[in-house]
Amino acid sequence: MRGLRKTYRRLFRKVGNEALRGMDLSVPEGSAFGLIGPNGAGKTTFIKSILGIVQPTEGTVRVLGGSPEDPRIRARIGYLPERLHLPGSWTATAFLATVTRLKGLKADAPGNRRLLERVGLADAAGRKIGGYSKGMRQRLGLAAALVGSPSLLVLDEPTDGIDPMGRLEVRRILLEEVQRGTTLFLNSHLLAETERVCDRVAILADGRVLREGRLEDLARGGARWMVRFAPGADAEALAEEGFARGSADGVYRVEAEDAAALNAALDRARSKGALLVELRRDGTDLESVLLGTVAPAGAAGVAA
Amino acid sequence: MNPVLGIAGYVLREAMSRKFILAFVVGITLVLSVVALSLRIEVVDGALAASRLFGNELRASIRSVDVALRPVYTAAAFIVFYGGILFGIVACSDFAPSLLSPGRIEHLLALPIQRWHLLAGTFLGVMVLAVGGTLYGTTGLVLIFGVKAGYWTAGPLIAGLMACVGFAAVYAVMLTTATLVRSAALCAAAGFVVMVSGIIAGFRQQIAPMFEDGFSRSAFEAVTLILPRLSSLAQAAGNIASSTPLEVNSLGMLLMGVLVFGFGALAVGFWRFEGKDY
Amino acid sequence: MDNRRRRRVWLGVAGLLFVLAGVLMFTGQGDKLPEEEPQVEFPRRMRGQERERAERRKTWVMPTVVDAGTAAAERPRPQDPLLAALPRGAGRTAVVIEANALRHSPIGELLLDCMMRDGGKELDEFRKKSGVDPLQDLDRLVITDQGMMLSGNFANAKFQELMGDAVSMDYGQGARVYEPGETIVTGPDGNTSSVHRRPAVGIWNNQLFMVGQNPDDVKAAIDRVEGRGPDEPPTIPEGSTYGEMYGVLSVEHLARLLPPDQAELAQRLRDVAQNVELHVDATSDVALVAEVRGKDKDQVTDLGKSLGAALSLARMRAQAEGEKEMAQLLDFARVQPDGSSFKLEMAVPLSVIQERLAFCKEERQAAEADAGVR
Repeated sequence: MRGLRKTYRRLFRKVGNEALRGMDLSVPEGSAFGLIGPNGAGKTTFIKSILGIVQPTEGTVRVLGGSPEDPRIRARIGYLPERLHLPGSWTATAFLATVTRLKGLKADAPGNRRLLERVGLADAAGRKIGGYSKGMRQRLGLAAALVGSPSLLVLDEPTDGIDPMGRLEVRRILLEEVQRGTTLFLNSHLLAETERVCDRVAILADGRVLREGRLEDLARGGARWMVRFAPGADAEALAEEGFARGSADGVYRVEAEDAAALNAALDRARSKGALLVELRRDGTDLESVLLGTVAPAGAAGVAA
Repeated sequence: MNPVLGIAGYVLREAMSRKFILAFVVGITLVLSVVALSLRIEVVDGALAASRLFGNELRASIRSVDVALRPVYTAAAFIVFYGGILFGIVACSDFAPSLLSPGRIEHLLALPIQRWHLLAGTFLGVMVLAVGGTLYGTTGLVLIFGVKAGYWTAGPLIAGLMACVGFAAVYAVMLTTATLVRSAALCAAAGFVVMVSGIIAGFRQQIAPMFEDGFSRSAFEAVTLILPRLSSLAQAAGNIASSTPLEVNSLGMLLMGVLVFGFGALAVGFWRFEGKDY
Repeated sequence: MDNRRRRRVWLGVAGLLFVLAGVLMFTGQGDKLPEEEPQVEFPRRMRGQERERAERRKTWVMPTVVDAGTAAAERPRPQDPLLAALPRGAGRTAVVIEANALRHSPIGELLLDCMMRDGGKELDEFRKKSGVDPLQDLDRLVITDQGMMLSGNFANAKFQELMGDAVSMDYGQGARVYEPGETIVTGPDGNTSSVHRRPAVGIWNNQLFMVGQNPDDVKAAIDRVEGRGPDEPPTIPEGSTYGEMYGVLSVEHLARLLPPDQAELAQRLRDVAQNVELHVDATSDVALVAEVRGKDKDQVTDLGKSLGAALSLARMRAQAEGEKEMAQLLDFARVQPDGSSFKLEMAVPLSVIQERLAFCKEERQAAEADAGVR
């Protein structure tokens, strides 16, 4: 997508609310793409733009080589909305059969049954959806998104309400789909999940893409290391050697360009009587990346 | 499969699960059963000689059975017409808002169907429901009086279908309202307003002289020119049900006009829906 | 097609459809006010005007028989002399035609056209000869089983000239009876007998004109007006004087009026009914209500059902044979059972009568135009 802008205008108001302020993003085919950012960053508007649910004020969106307004393109997309509303009086089988029909596919009862088995709803297939738990509804939503083996899966909070064991299952299904060659577009407030499933991530804030790229590139902390010494280390002496005191007791941070510089710094610390008990690269988790990216822009809170 | 039919099926399945619609069907069945079991009609050479309801003789004249049943059929046509539209307004007011609710509309819009398919399918589904209910009730009525009095007429059936055309115009406006405001109450209010306006429009020649000659009268005439003339249609339905001469110039054109108004309202809905973000 | 263009198309289509809908509905419904449905008003009870009319007619105070002062002095109430003159007792027939009211009704206008098809020559002749203008002086006409009566203003009537050789005599308090002269007729067997060539006539206070088969009938009628008649209620009670035509028909008379193919119905009427009260309203359409009374409730109800069925069959036959007018007339026909009596209602819409009698008007206009040219 290029130069994507979306301004929500209200009646009798001159100035509209800008949800997207010129977004450029390209998602490679076959990748598992995660979208993260604080509340109000424009993530949902962004996802809806991909599907043509929201029409951009400016800019162009190309999905799977076409426009999302083209039903033939949408036929190749599986979508799970954030708060999927399912008809309570229907059975899961009937719901999937309807989705199959509306996707323009031939009725495929065995295929749908397999899908329900895959998401762990085989036993509840004949029950009314109204009696389902939140997690079961999410699983059914996922099954509906998987109907017709789509080329692109757009999932908005797919594990919302699902128990930890269920999350594992969902994650397994998503990884299977990625391995099959499906492009995955994931928006989840569980950063660990994004981290485990996605290989590329975009950080959104204030209607713009702040950072985008391969996860390991973004997560690479650079020259900063976290060091923990055994109790009794002399903090002042360590500070003189370039070790900055961290938040927890015995935790310090040190800048080192390479392994030689790191070992030299550690040798200096040991010479001051400090005993090393733990060493790791600082800033490797997604949360740190997000905080590091968004915090300077003044954003508060991290959520989907 | 045609997406419009698919959405219509979706709406119908949703409707069938609603308890009050089932209650309505049960209610019609009960009323028809009670009438069938409690009504005794004595017909002598085509004249309605005596009728008993719950064993009590009804004080009525002895006259040709079709003439005697005219008021019954006329009343039935009016009840089906106005009662049916009113029930339809209340019963179907939340179909569209519910379909457009967050979490459901996104899912539907992401499916490979055109936006207008969604509205057209909802409209079609509701109309199938209306026609089904009407045919069920009016066929029952025709059967009861046909078997009991030996007087067979398709009048009430035709009158019922005409009521469905009237409802089509009303529901099209309700559907369009749902694309503007997602509120069942406002949809019902819009339907009610169209119904009342439609009654007024049918009497426009009689009402127009009450306005002062000039702008106000011209404005009234202009507005009521395109509004669906529901009261005229109801009157024609009554005439057809009771096999009495029609008062309108051409029933076909009137019916077409009301239906085309509905399609016009639906086109406004398409226009709005195509440009709306969810 | 992109979204914006598609939206513009929808809006354009909507506008076109609304215009088309307007045109279709305008043409379909028409821009004329719907015609009022024909509402036939059946004469079922006395209406205000008729009550006033009956009150106005109570002009005659019957002379009371002077007693010895034992009975409480009751102030005699004025009566309608015509009603008092009617024959009394069960099984009698008397039908009143409100000639003046009928004359001023739409039907009356039509009948007048028919009467004056010759341009009114015959009517003028009658006026000159009799001194009576039927359009001005005649109020009511009564047909009874004993003869005929007319009420109105006969002060200018030239009875003596009309009656020719009739013998006239005063009778009672204000009446004069004209007895026609006798004619000797020789029969085929050679025997001779005297016959009255013309009926006897009586005039009472220049208000009532009575025609009877013989002078005794006329005198009996005058006796009834002047309080010397039988002490029985009048055939037509005051409360039944509504409609443009009303009265009581004896079952025997009514049965005789029915066509021969209805002999079975005539016999049933004789068996079941006692009498038939008739009311015809002609203020707009011609509506008839006949109340048939009998002794046996079940038999009367059965007769009502038979009549209703006969009317229904007739209507169906008319419909099947494409007799639209007849079917339309019978649309209004019905039988209303009410215990030991039932009411039969029938109507003839004015439009049908107008259509049937349209030729009278045309002929009258042609005759008048012809007279004008000359």
